[in-house]
Amino acid sequence: MIELAALATFLEASVRLGVPLGLAAIGETVTERSGVINIGLEGSIIAGALAGALGALAFGSAGAGVVVGAGGGLVVALVFAVFAVGLGTDQIITGTAVTLGGLGFTGAVYQARFGVTGTALSLPTLPVMEIPLLSRIPLVGHALFAQAPTAYFAYLAAPAAWYFLFRTEWGLELRAVGEEPSAAAAAGVRVRWTRIWAALFGGAMAGVAGAHLALAHAGTFSENMSAGRGFIAIAVVVLGRWNPVLVFLAALFFGAASAAQFFLQTLGLDLPYQLFLTLPYLLTLAALAGWVGKSRAPAALARPWPPAEG
Amino acid sequence: MRLPEQTHAGLVAAAALAVTAVLAGVSLKLGGFDPFQAGAAMVRGSLGGRSALLSVTLVRSVPLILTGLAVALAFRAGVWNIGAEGQLYAGAVAAVWVGLEGGGLPAPILIVAVLLAAGVGGAAWALVPALMRFRMGVGEVITTILMNFVAIYLAAWLVHGPLQESRGVFPQTEQIVGAARLPPLVEGARLHWGFVLAVVLAVVLWAFVRWTVPGFRIRAVGASPEAARIAGRINPDKVALRAFLVSGALAGLAGGVEVAGVTFALYEGLSPGWGYTAIAVALLAGLNPLGVLFTGFLFGALQGGAGAMQREAGIPSAWVGAVEALAILSVLAVDQIRRRRIPILRAGTVVTQEQADD
Amino acid sequence: MTKERPAAARLSGIRKAFGAVAAVDGADLLVHAGEVHGVLGENGAGKTTLLSILGGSLRPDAGEIRIGNAAVDLRSPRHAWDRGVGMVHQHFTLVPRLTVLENLTLGFRDAARGWRLPLDDVRVRAEELMGRTGLSVPFDSLTENLDVGERQRIEILKALLRNPSILILDEPTAVLMPGEIERLFALVRDLTDRGVAVVLVAHKLDEVLSVSDRVTVMREGRSILTAPVAEVERRALTRAMVGREPEPFSRPPAPSHGKTVAELRGARMLGRHGEWALDDVTLSIQAGEILGVAGVQGNGQRELAMALSGVRTPDGGSAMLPSGVGFITQDRSREGLIPDFDLVENMALALHRRAELRRGLLLDWRGIRDRTAAAVTRYQVRTPGASTAARALSGGNQQRLVVAREVAEATDLLVAENPTRGLDVAAAAFVHEELKRLVRGDGDTGMAAVVLISTDLDEVLALSHRIVVLVRGRILAVPEQARTKEGLGSLMLSVDHATA
Repeated sequence: MIELAALATFLEASVRLGVPLGLAAIGETVTERSGVINIGLEGSIIAGALAGALGALAFGSAGAGVVVGAGGGLVVALVFAVFAVGLGTDQIITGTAVTLGGLGFTGAVYQARFGVTGTALSLPTLPVMEIPLLSRIPLVGHALFAQAPTAYFAYLAAPAAWYFLFRTEWGLELRAVGEEPSAAAAAGVRVRWTRIWAALFGGAMAGVAGAHLALAHAGTFSENMSAGRGFIAIAVVVLGRWNPVLVFLAALFFGAASAAQFFLQTLGLDLPYQLFLTLPYLLTLAALAGWVGKSRAPAALARPWPPAEG
Repeated sequence: MRLPEQTHAGLVAAAALAVTAVLAGVSLKLGGFDPFQAGAAMVRGSLGGRSALLSVTLVRSVPLILTGLAVALAFRAGVWNIGAEGQLYAGAVAAVWVGLEGGGLPAPILIVAVLLAAGVGGAAWALVPALMRFRMGVGEVITTILMNFVAIYLAAWLVHGPLQESRGVFPQTEQIVGAARLPPLVEGARLHWGFVLAVVLAVVLWAFVRWTVPGFRIRAVGASPEAARIAGRINPDKVALRAFLVSGALAGLAGGVEVAGVTFALYEGLSPGWGYTAIAVALLAGLNPLGVLFTGFLFGALQGGAGAMQREAGIPSAWVGAVEALAILSVLAVDQIRRRRIPILRAGTVVTQEQADD
Repeated sequence: MTKERPAAARLSGIRKAFGAVAAVDGADLLVHAGEVHGVLGENGAGKTTLLSILGGSLRPDAGEIRIGNAAVDLRSPRHAWDRGVGMVHQHFTLVPRLTVLENLTLGFRDAARGWRLPLDDVRVRAEELMGRTGLSVPFDSLTENLDVGERQRIEILKALLRNPSILILDEPTAVLMPGEIERLFALVRDLTDRGVAVVLVAHKLDEVLSVSDRVTVMREGRSILTAPVAEVERRALTRAMVGREPEPFSRPPAPSHGKTVAELRGARMLGRHGEWALDDVTLSIQAGEILGVAGVQGNGQRELAMALSGVRTPDGGSAMLPSGVGFITQDRSREGLIPDFDLVENMALALHRRAELRRGLLLDWRGIRDRTAAAVTRYQVRTPGASTAARALSGGNQQRLVVAREVAEATDLLVAENPTRGLDVAAAAFVHEELKRLVRGDGDTGMAAVVLISTDLDEVLALSHRIVVLVRGRILAVPEQARTKEGLGSLMLSVDHATA
């Protein structure tokens, strides 16, 4: 019975840790389908976390914090989009810079506001909402349906993003932009605007993910608390083959990888904690190595539009 | 021969620096700080006096130059090595591992062994994403970043576990033996011979890229793998793989030099993100190894002055990271504007293939 | 012979420059409703640029566009459609990884903007249109799996779905077989009977004359003349296109048979999708001959060029190649040179392999510079200097540089892949002369062989001593009596027999 309880805890933690990854990855899926790879996702997440924390403090409500967090992620993505899409700068380098800038600025704002020592910040947190009946499903019910509202948002966002991409005219245009921008342009689609909107959506989703980290997980903000989730989310998009629903499932799997730490510890396996921390990254690397050959990225991913001259 | 290009790179860097300075000042002003007071504190802390220059700024610039060279070489070859940070840690671990024992070797030999180990460590760390790219077709951007996290946590584990100092109190290793340490360059200052090594390597790399056959191949592959393959009969994968490994070795060397010249031990958080700052260093230098000397020094001064700025003007140290990002974005923007928008700065008329083909 | 029809579109005084080069300068075009209007001109005359302006994908620097009687500012292709202009581009504008139906739907806009994907509406309309026009396409296939003829039909169907009153067809026959061309022209006639104005862009005189009511000739970015087909002499058109009397067609003299310089035996090469793009090809090439390889694009030409140039080793069979092979790739700006490199460095792409230009690890840059200067002079590359970036050169001058470099490499064999594509008349003539000189073996070069892989049948017929046709990766010899455009065309079409 102890094992069963441990398993339930593990599953709950898997979902809890998988949700922010999933939120960011769903957004990035839409961004990448438009031919833009946003390595600055990490910057959007950390900005979402800080904005979420500040918003929750200012309005005294975690829900308001999530909205402000989405805005924070969006603003960072706007910087990325203006450079990478508007000016046509290299997406990889721009994204890296945006991540560095996001981490630097949030750190600076946090230090300026709360002091270098980082007096433990206590925030209003997102309540756990139990869904009647569904949360009673044995084993997985509690894990899936006794979560913060942001988790339910993610459950809805995955199929909604799928529907948008594959069943709407805008989705078709967005995919065309990501595959063959010249063809999309010839068909009258505004390539840059499409890409900018897609990047902004990705940023807002990453902002929600960051707000979830601060307001559902920790109830506090700390510098660099995004801890590389933006990069894992980008890998998760590859693993989920650019399909929002599969991407979300892959994110839950990586939530499980992060949660394995707690699970194995309750089983009495006492591996050092730093080694556990490497686990999600190593698993992502292994999965990429074993998986990538089978999937094809959007053909125009990371290619600037209009194409570089010459 | 490439004089016009060099002039442009200098122009781009100067314009980008000006933009960065203005934006940085504006951001301080908006944050309620006095930009001029901050600037003065920054200059005092980084360049104001012998100790600031020889014990802070130049010492800081050494790992930035070495990782900057690593990034510049990789980018030149069309390899997006964002993993200098992890490779630096791998090099530091390897250097400590050799330097702790020492095997009773005399100083010059042991120092060489420590630095070699660091280079091999960094190259080995780069080998994983390199093989993933060239054997399995997995892009190196994400894999190098993931490898950074793995390296940082592994180093943390080592200094908390197997390699922790004997009292088991601090998260760091024992100090490496005296014979494994780089001697000081100037009496009474922290500047060490690693600085000379960095300068020599920058010059060597510059000449290598400019004048040699493999250097030319690297440039060709980076500029256009298709043309390198078809017009140059060069195997782009082979060239890029080698450049990737050398890049990893240079970043590893940065870790080794830091351990052998400054810290003499491995710490958790040994690098404040040099491997990432290196991207700004390399880009601002126009990927030119000689330029890296200057931009490495510049960012060394920025980081060196950050402490003084925090003490004297109360500006959070994390703000420096934001300035680095501003610098990268400014370079990208200025370069792009030069290429596309402003005819006076443009090298020549531009006709795209489709237009020319009509 | 007909009464004056109303004007469908009128372009006047159009100018469009890319950088410092004006692709179109002072061009006029008047298209009447219900007519087929041919636009003739050599490569680089500005035809595509002018029509792209009418199609809304380029904006002019100067000039006026009137559609019907209204002056319009066409800001995008969508603007143009809204005013009834549809354009079928020379390069395809389909998204490979969407289905045919999705491609037809892309940009097809009705009242329900955005949310609902009107796949079913489009299917119904397209089926109706297919029945009316005889164009048939597989709706649910992935576009990337279709051949060029099918893609062409999709493009046309896509344009027709929007009921254009002006339809622009840019070089539609380039990828079609003779039989398909006739069907296309029948469709064009049917459209004009319904009052649609069709603008047909081509550089093949005969095709245009066979279907057009009126023609406009363009040269060097200007419209030279516009006249009803019935009232203009063929020679006058040719002269207007070329700007001088055309050279008489001459069959090259048969070569004195030289030694075999290169040989493929049962060579097979994998294509991009894992198919045999080159299939069991046996071919031997003698010094002193130009071997022409004709075929519809995408029938294994790329792979043959890779195998003969030594860039790739065959995946099956064997290739015997000489040491001195030059390769003029068709993709000049991506594969032939590096736009960011200066001329010296671009020459070094080939020269860096030469032992005499190396000093250990170091390259003899002085030697390479001297050779570049010599090549620039001899091949009349118009450039401010050898340290100019290649991107600053015009297409013709870039090609001169590539030809200079590769001819110097080709002591035994030169593989030339569509070497005159996109070049102006003078540059093309220059390239042709170089190929001829190489096989004559006069001057400082020995007698070499040339493999001319080209989709331009005129070029193949005019230069080749011997011709083969590539069909689905297989080689067909061309008998003497088939040495005509029609003969080659039917061999190129013989796909069913080849695979059956």
